[in-house]
Amino acid sequence: MSIYDFTVKTNRGVEKSLADYKGKVLLIVNTASKCGFTPQFEELQALYKTYKDKGLEILGFPCNQFAAQDPGSNDEIQQFCKFNYGVTFQIFEKGDVRGETAQPLFKYLTAQKKFEGFDMHHPIGQKLLEALQTNFPEYLEGDGIKWNFTKFLIDREGNVVARFEPTTTPASIATDIEKLL
Amino acid sequence: MTVTIFGFRGCPWCDKVKRLLDARGVEYETRDIELDETAREECEKISGDLAVPVTTIDGKNYVVGFDKKKIDELLASA
Repeated sequence: MSIYDFTVKTNRGVEKSLADYKGKVLLIVNTASKCGFTPQFEELQALYKTYKDKGLEILGFPCNQFAAQDPGSNDEIQQFCKFNYGVTFQIFEKGDVRGETAQPLFKYLTAQKKFEGFDMHHPIGQKLLEALQTNFPEYLEGDGIKWNFTKFLIDREGNVVARFEPTTTPASIATDIEKLL
Repeated sequence: MTVTIFGFRGCPWCDKVKRLLDARGVEYETRDIELDETAREECEKISGDLAVPVTTIDGKNYVVGFDKKKIDELLASA
């Protein structure tokens, strides 16, 4: 079983085999909905712009499982949606990424790379942990996806080489990407 | 008076504004900034951003987001 055995659907409903990405460095991310505070979209787009010509592809998988609650904004929920028309990397069909209903790709990725905790130096580290402990303690068990913007880095041979939690900003993994390009 | 709501499909706050205007008995037109490039440009011109919903009557005064109080004020000013 390898990453290239999976087939997924793009946001336009077209079937896409991940084998089409053989030889590329991949960053697979479960993205948030377009509503609320999603600055990581912009950073991901910046990474993509910088490295796409060197062989990086970013694959975004929107998921609603975490959309309703945005940690850190409990008292000030943003009541608008931001249109991310600047995103040019591939976005796939909306689907689940954790639990029994998770897409097979995410079951595979989370089995390959375990959860090793959040980066508590990140501004939302503590808030995210507390929000999960309070509202979704079951999410903290096991290796499933904990929140939006969990990132998996895949090398040119299809090996899942790293997992970055939501508390690692896209900008800060640039050096890890460069090593694989 | 013509109320315009800029938004896109799948934007829950846009739907809330529509329901609010329905409840107030106010007619409105909707502009989709995802599908309609002209609407996107107009929206950006009005608010300087692509955060929606944007509710406006004259294209000058506007409310971003689902903000009941401000939307009512906007309607009252027209």
